[in-house]
Amino acid sequence: MSGAILFDNVSLKRGGREVLSGISLELTERRIGLIGNNGSGKSSLVRLLNGLLSPDTGRVNVHGLDVKDDVAELPRKVGFIFQNPDHQIIFPTVAEEVAFSLEQSGRTRREAAAEANAALARFDREAWAERPVHALSEGEKQLLCIIAVLVMEPAVLVLDEPFSSLDLPTRRRLERLIAGLPQQILMIAHEFDAYASYDRVIWLHEGCVQMDGQPDEVVGAYRAFAEASQ
Amino acid sequence: MISLYLAERTWLHGIPAGWKLIALALISLAMTPLDNLPIMVALNVATLALYASLGRAAMAQIALLRPMWPLFAILLALHWWNGDIRLGLIVSLRILAMMLLANAVTMTTRMDAMMDAIEPVLTPLGWIGLSPRAVALAVAMMIRFVPLLFALWEALNEAYRARTGKRGGWRLLSAFCIQTLRLSHHTAEALAARGGAPRGPRR
Repeated sequence: MSGAILFDNVSLKRGGREVLSGISLELTERRIGLIGNNGSGKSSLVRLLNGLLSPDTGRVNVHGLDVKDDVAELPRKVGFIFQNPDHQIIFPTVAEEVAFSLEQSGRTRREAAAEANAALARFDREAWAERPVHALSEGEKQLLCIIAVLVMEPAVLVLDEPFSSLDLPTRRRLERLIAGLPQQILMIAHEFDAYASYDRVIWLHEGCVQMDGQPDEVVGAYRAFAEASQ
Repeated sequence: MISLYLAERTWLHGIPAGWKLIALALISLAMTPLDNLPIMVALNVATLALYASLGRAAMAQIALLRPMWPLFAILLALHWWNGDIRLGLIVSLRILAMMLLANAVTMTTRMDAMMDAIEPVLTPLGWIGLSPRAVALAVAMMIRFVPLLFALWEALNEAYRARTGKRGGWRLLSAFCIQTLRLSHHTAEALAARGGAPRGPRR
């Protein structure tokens, strides 16, 4: 089935501990948030979507690709943004970083460079091309990561705590930018106001879906749970 | 933060990578057999003039050599002990100039241009099953991560000083190694998420 992410009775063990147990979900909404305590399985769940982790039992299907059978095609379908951009940026200059994925997918050097410059221009960042990546601010680095992933035109964008090291104005700018993207988005964040315009929020607890529904309901319930467990 | 690449364009950025590398190789070849003190001094003066022509940011890079001073001190001490301090000076000046010249190439050459220039040299690696592209990626990542590792060391040192009031020095080494491994794990994951290391020849 295209256009949806399907989890069918998925379980996953890491280091002898079951981090996901019997997860079944059908994700068709465009904006989906994931919340839950540290260690609740959020990061593991999203890592199943691009082959970084593989389910022990059950099946995961991402827009028509099975995560076990079609693992080679997944990176093109699913873009991934991590918490710390410094862990994600591979190249010394901005243009090389953006061109990397394009070259990976078979473009020539020249084509990749041209497309990378076009992508930077789309985000009004042509001037960045020759800059060394370490000279960018945290927010700029995170934006670079997003541009470098979006050049591949993935169908799904997964963001794993993308705002943790950003100040509020920078965060707001990135949120607005993310809101305007055509991709289906799955985001883990602890800044719950980021979910205000989302279609659906899923609360994971100890590897299971605790609650699944409208953002304000689910976030409200999670807040109450967090206060009660003090 | 310390970087190996200069952001502001200088005239040296405009010279093709291949020419810079060949010039570097020729100068090294020419200087290795020479043991003439005035020539070595002249070479260092010329190198400093080159840095001056590249601007203030380039001059600031010379400070990167600070960790090398103990090496020069040992070299000089050994030669003095051998009774030939002049040779010690020549050797030290030669190393200093070559390091500065090599650094001048690194800080004015983009990684992909550099890899294009040296990839023909890497081609034989393909015969033993090593992809020249993977090697090129490894080199690019090294250049990228050097400033990050400096920053990591500084952060550890700061944490140590905040709690002890002393400089961490060698005591930070094991923590640094562990942090570096963690960093490499994260980066490996990010690389895998983007399709992994390149295979096959560059196009």
